[in-house]
Amino acid sequence: MIPLTLRVNGRERRVLVEPRQSLLRVLRDELGLTGAKEGCHRGECGSCTVLMDGVPLYACMTLAPEAEGREITTVEGLLDGEALGPVQDAFAEHDAFQCGFCTSGQIVAVEGLLRANPQPSLEEIRTGVSGNLCRCGAYPNIFRAAGRAAELRAGRGGDS
Amino acid sequence: MLPNFAYVRARTVEEALEHLGGEDTRVHAGGTDLLGCLRDRVFAADKVVSLRDVEGLTGIRRAADGGLVLGGLTTLAEVSRSSEVRGLYPGLAQAASAVASPQLRNQGTLAGNLCQRPRCWYFRGEFHCAKKGGAQCYAVGGQNRYHAVLGGGPCYIVHPSDTAPMLLALDAAVRIVGRAGERAIKLAEFFVLPEVELARENVLAPGEIVTEILLPPAPGLYSSYRKVRERGAWDFALASVALALRSIGGRVTQASVVLGGVAPAPWRAEAVERAIVGTTVDEKTARDAAAAAVEGAEPLEWNAYKLPLIRGIVEESLRRFHDYQPS
Amino acid sequence: MKAADYYLDGPAPETPEPRQRQDRWGETRVVGRPLPRVDAYERVSGSAVYPSDVQLPGMLHAAILRSPHPHARVKRVETSRAEAMPGVRAVITHQTPGADIAWYTDREGATVGHLFEAHCRFEGEAVAAVAAESPYQARDALEAIEVEYEVLPFTSDYETALEPRAPAVRDGGNRASEPGVYERGDLAAGFNAAEVVVEETFRTPCELHTPLEPHGCVARWDGNRLTVWESTQGVYPVQSRVAQVLGLPLANVRVIGHYVGGGFGSKLRPGKYTVIAALLARQTGRPVRLFLSREETLLCAGNRPANRMRLKVGAKRDGTLTAIEFHGLGSGGAYSGSGTGILDWQVRDLYRCDNVRCTTENVYIHAGAQRPMRAPGHPQCSWALEQVMDELADRLELDPVELRLRNLASVSQGRGGIPYTSNGFRECLEEGARTFGWLAARSRARSEDDLARGVGMAGGLWIAGAGGPPSTAIVKYFADGSVNLNLGASDIGTGTKTVMAMVVAEELGVPLDRIQIEHADTATTQFATASGGSKTVPTDAPAVRAAALDCHNQLLDMAAEELAVAPSELKLDGDHVVAVGDPEKRVALREVSDFRRRQVVVGIGYRGPNPEGKATCPFAAQFCEVEVNRRTGEVRVLRFLGAHDSGRVMNRATYDNQVYGGIVMGIGLGLTERRVLDTGQTGKMCNLSWHDYKIPTALDVPADVTSLPIETEDVECNTVGAKGLGEPVTIPTAAAIANAVYNATGIRVWEAPLNATRLAELLAEREA
Repeated sequence: MIPLTLRVNGRERRVLVEPRQSLLRVLRDELGLTGAKEGCHRGECGSCTVLMDGVPLYACMTLAPEAEGREITTVEGLLDGEALGPVQDAFAEHDAFQCGFCTSGQIVAVEGLLRANPQPSLEEIRTGVSGNLCRCGAYPNIFRAAGRAAELRAGRGGDS
Repeated sequence: MLPNFAYVRARTVEEALEHLGGEDTRVHAGGTDLLGCLRDRVFAADKVVSLRDVEGLTGIRRAADGGLVLGGLTTLAEVSRSSEVRGLYPGLAQAASAVASPQLRNQGTLAGNLCQRPRCWYFRGEFHCAKKGGAQCYAVGGQNRYHAVLGGGPCYIVHPSDTAPMLLALDAAVRIVGRAGERAIKLAEFFVLPEVELARENVLAPGEIVTEILLPPAPGLYSSYRKVRERGAWDFALASVALALRSIGGRVTQASVVLGGVAPAPWRAEAVERAIVGTTVDEKTARDAAAAAVEGAEPLEWNAYKLPLIRGIVEESLRRFHDYQPS
Repeated sequence: MKAADYYLDGPAPETPEPRQRQDRWGETRVVGRPLPRVDAYERVSGSAVYPSDVQLPGMLHAAILRSPHPHARVKRVETSRAEAMPGVRAVITHQTPGADIAWYTDREGATVGHLFEAHCRFEGEAVAAVAAESPYQARDALEAIEVEYEVLPFTSDYETALEPRAPAVRDGGNRASEPGVYERGDLAAGFNAAEVVVEETFRTPCELHTPLEPHGCVARWDGNRLTVWESTQGVYPVQSRVAQVLGLPLANVRVIGHYVGGGFGSKLRPGKYTVIAALLARQTGRPVRLFLSREETLLCAGNRPANRMRLKVGAKRDGTLTAIEFHGLGSGGAYSGSGTGILDWQVRDLYRCDNVRCTTENVYIHAGAQRPMRAPGHPQCSWALEQVMDELADRLELDPVELRLRNLASVSQGRGGIPYTSNGFRECLEEGARTFGWLAARSRARSEDDLARGVGMAGGLWIAGAGGPPSTAIVKYFADGSVNLNLGASDIGTGTKTVMAMVVAEELGVPLDRIQIEHADTATTQFATASGGSKTVPTDAPAVRAAALDCHNQLLDMAAEELAVAPSELKLDGDHVVAVGDPEKRVALREVSDFRRRQVVVGIGYRGPNPEGKATCPFAAQFCEVEVNRRTGEVRVLRFLGAHDSGRVMNRATYDNQVYGGIVMGIGLGLTERRVLDTGQTGKMCNLSWHDYKIPTALDVPADVTSLPIETEDVECNTVGAKGLGEPVTIPTAAAIANAVYNATGIRVWEAPLNATRLAELLAEREA
């Protein structure tokens, strides 16, 4: 077991982990942040997507020690207090989910996309969420929500 | 779930090499292929050496000769975004952006993409196949839709990398460091076929790491990468073709054509190169050259579709070059 | 499989008649609008607690050791090394006292296998299980269990399972049941009368459900009471099975399933994992979390069986069908689920034809058991039937839409000719074609470019989608005008909670944000069948409506006393009750003395029976445009339109979303998905990952998808007029794509999935 200090959603969190533990299992099991979901633990579904230094990655394919010193943002970190962030608002508004299990990952992927590219084209949006499976097939609404999120983000003044 | 292992984070290449002595010591760059292999028990790890904090392994810079030097730990996303790569070697940007998914491109590294292990399901799965020291290649008599049609035997994997065919076409070299020292070798000498080396896909010795990818200067160079896959993301090539051509007045003076997804190593299609050098790659030339691309191919039961696929993308890529008519 | 098996496991309680007559809705205020989901906040904020998110104090993590062989006998299991490992709290096998539980039954109900079965008949059969302090320790322990297997010969190719040399899966051979035979009319006479006959063999792959949330649960005991948080489409089927196998009263088994990360039919019932978690929890005295790995869900959490179908159709020159002969073959795996359940239904029922013969053969193979997958049998049948219709249209030089219009059925022929409560198939075809721009798109000349465009369409119907009793709902109207809605159904992502709240809002005028919903909990809600089979809305919405009306009537009764006006003269107006003829006569509900004293009005609603002698089915027509690369056979879907008659639209937003989702899943069947077994060598599954089992990504589906509701008025089916939607939306999709590819290239692909791995060769062959 090794001690780690992780910076998650703006807070420092100290944990004791085995090196083999993924960031995902640490977020969920040790820190109680269950927004990022475990769909495969193989880097093949995207439901565990988090931002690391603002860039979307699979938390399941990230060893927890590799995340040390990085700024980690989960879907919970996109809330402003109790209020939804712009991407979350857009997903709710456009019914961009069904079962909702992939949704945290989709939202974080879109957040990462918009931080790098605030005005993406439809094709850029489709590519931006192409690392996030949605078995319910809400993709057309996800595309719309991402476009709407870009508008909302611009309206609310950039990074959320 | 991964088996347990020790984890160390090296601060310098030298320190990393110190750790990389043991048989089951594994180097962690982006980690995406490593973790997958450990989860599937493709190989074991008693120690994982992270290169995360090693300085100087990332980034893209101009070389003295006008080429580019890409740090081995440069992510695929950085490669595909780089204005220098896009300007000088657009085919490499295309190849890097065709890998896996956005998240994996944000995490996976260029060196890792070259060194990743094959995706053959018999190799990754619970099959004691020849590559893992077993008696048989299950692909020969089994489910071989995604396997090699060229250069196979005794193992029929295909090399999974998208950047490897392109880098080979670009005549790139890799800088390799190990305890024994440092060397730079052309990619043409980097990859090996299973008939030479069954257990590995390249000449890296245990404990060696790829620190840099070196691209020769690109004046007058046309490059492209075309990949066919079953789905739009997160999929390895059913077949791909990398072109690197030089031409004068539309007439090809130098050609490098490399196929991906069809052989255990990136596969140089020399017959195609011969067919187009000296020509303007008109329609007939493109078609004849494409036909030559599959010369010597020996499909297995389920992968004969790769032949028309290879012909199709070679012809398409050559015609695109013709239409592009570099000035 | 019978259609009823899809949603009911065992006997259901009798259902009383609804208490009051319910007029059909005229203009609705709330129902039908595209309202955001009532649980949108939870689902987008990350705060929704899915069963796999449940964390309890002292919770252990469990894992199951599974047979790596498709057919083997467990000769010895040695667990001592695993038991001694750090963090390991329990290891159980078939030898563990109390774990010797009968699990598999045959058609007659006799036990044919156990929870931990020593005779493993499929790869992935459970052999042992462990519980440990961490999920990593649990997996470590699995690897330390030594099992000696006697590896036995296997059968994994369903097409050769009946050959004499095929190793037998079960005593008595590999024929799982007598061939199913359906016949009407005179087949020979029908073919004699035909002027054109099309006959082809079709294949569809074995598909896997792959919901994003793996299957599993968290189990906790309090004395002799068990609570299970299960990722499920129905908490009641889980409760009844767990209670039955553990010998507990229903009252002692509480199953909670507030959220579920997808199921698509694979979570209609509990799994072995549910019972194993309960056993481990009892043995350790700790709560136990047991969720399958992704690989396990691919291996042994259900599938849509592969099918081989031979279809022969005869028609007259004018397109009139004269005869249809269908033969289907499939396997539900090693145990009792059928490989051909309701496979032939659309052949029997969709198009008018007097002479029909369908035979189905169901065989055993050494592979994981099927579970119903979104419209069992139907997308497969559609792949065959709708391609044959397209081919027939081609040979008759008729427009494919026109050919279908000429063969509309006026009654349900498969049910002996009873009428439908509503049938909007004609409108689906006609309005779908019009909105899609079908005729213009068809008449565009085939391009000779590298990229060829084509359009295709397919029709369909879903056998079920009527819903029916039982369903019980309770609406509590509180003193401040807010409401608690209580129902047992799961919301599997279709928007059940939202739709039901909208029904309450419609009847009681309560805003959605003042309705609290309590659902999917066997301890606190009413019995409900699992959410599946496109029956949740037509089953539960009428019950909710009845409960709301019950509340409504009680409130008027109380106000009537207060105002001294007959209840029939009163109406609810927000939080007031007003006399219809005299708006001056009004009283705020909070001022109604009887109500103030009681503080709550409880309305109970039941789902009434379906009309006798009539069938209720949703109908569908889908249209699409594709682009095919003539050199490579790459297929890109450019746009889709789904025209669906599912009766009343309850919520336009969730309705459209279902249409999109069904089409996306159908694109998977059409273009990318197939389970691959190493049939000739080991019988093991090859593509045990989402990398290799390829479901569509955002880049495989068009952004341009149109949902066109065909809102036929159905006053008979139930009291809300809605029919099922979730299955029909995925039935015609793959066939429509195949027809569009034909339109683009002139090449028919009889075997799904259709992509470059098939089309490249077919295009090259034709070129040559």
